[in-house]
Amino acid sequence: MKVTILNGNPDTSNHTFDDYLKNLSDTLTASEHNVTTLVLRDMDIRYCVGCWGCWVKTPGQCAARDDSRDVCRAYINSDFVLFASPVIMGFPSALLKKVQEKAALSVLLPYFEQVNNEVRHVGRYPRYPRIGLLLERSETCDDEDIQIINDIYARFALNVKTTYGFTRLTSDPVKEVADGINHL
Amino acid sequence: MELTIFNGSPRGEGSNTKILLEHFISGFMETEGNSYELSYLVRIKEGEQFVTLFQEAEHILLATPLYADAMPGIVKAFIESLEPLCGQKDNADIGFIVQSGFPEPIHSRYLERYLVKLSARLGCRYNGTVIRGAVEGIKVTPEFMNKKLFKTFYKLGITYGKTGKFDEKLVSQLARPEKLSRFQFWFTRIISDAIYWNPMLKKNKAFKKRFDRPYEVKSGSTESG
Repeated sequence: MKVTILNGNPDTSNHTFDDYLKNLSDTLTASEHNVTTLVLRDMDIRYCVGCWGCWVKTPGQCAARDDSRDVCRAYINSDFVLFASPVIMGFPSALLKKVQEKAALSVLLPYFEQVNNEVRHVGRYPRYPRIGLLLERSETCDDEDIQIINDIYARFALNVKTTYGFTRLTSDPVKEVADGINHL
Repeated sequence: MELTIFNGSPRGEGSNTKILLEHFISGFMETEGNSYELSYLVRIKEGEQFVTLFQEAEHILLATPLYADAMPGIVKAFIESLEPLCGQKDNADIGFIVQSGFPEPIHSRYLERYLVKLSARLGCRYNGTVIRGAVEGIKVTPEFMNKKLFKTFYKLGITYGKTGKFDEKLVSQLARPEKLSRFQFWFTRIISDAIYWNPMLKKNKAFKKRFDRPYEVKSGSTESG
């Protein structure tokens, strides 16, 4: 499988998180997966400004010519995308969130369809990667926070035409997370 | 009462959130002695000032559009900047407005849960969340179609200005319809294509490219998942 890991850790001094992802990437590579890790904090990615450029000006691409285009290309051409971030104030980082917005809009069309009685956007691509979430708990992060994040990402998965894989924590052994991806 | 308002829309002064807030504020200001201070979170450079405003506020209103099933990136960045205020005593009470382009309130209910938890995390008394869908079209729909919506936000502002609370009846009015009927959906779809998406695409000479897949790998060498 082609796996893309989106490293949304904004804090360069948080080596534990980056080391965990490195370890996970190595483990997945050892099981014959083709793994790409994008360190979002090292990329030039502007915030989405709600201009609809990706739908009505440069269809399928963010109108801001920033590195989000590379993220979106990697995203849509993957079989599995892992959104990874420390939990900050009960949610993944703003760094990860801004990428999530750009990825979602670029891979969809502006047009509407009705799925299970809810309005959604029509897909732009014939196939979509499955997604999963890897979180690092902060001191103040409890099970309810994890549940809220999980439920929001499960909704996100519906809107980007895929099924939600899992929410895992960096307190889980790397092997378990890798197995989770293997068994998708 | 003095209300500290944060507009979380990445579109700032050009936002639909601003339009809804204007009606809310004019109702809020009907009560004598009321005042407000309004900040646009999109002005990221003023971030430090936003934290001070939050810290010194007595009553807070955070209004935001729904972006990819949650708060926009700039709003999350603002929330992260509030971390030092967690657990501090005497934090303000806080209310939220979440507006989405999607017509159904269900899309915003998950963010609402996060906002309830956020209020507790910040030690702020939670004043509730007003959820409104189908807001994206308000600049292009004829004025008579928005009249009721704007009036409801005005009335919501009046009661908030008097009582410091959202009127529950108005909140539930705004969160309707819960689901679109088949007919309502087709109507929304045809109208939004005809007066919103397609004219913008044509204006930008991008109509022919509307279904483009710029990131598609043509070789067909990717494995299937």
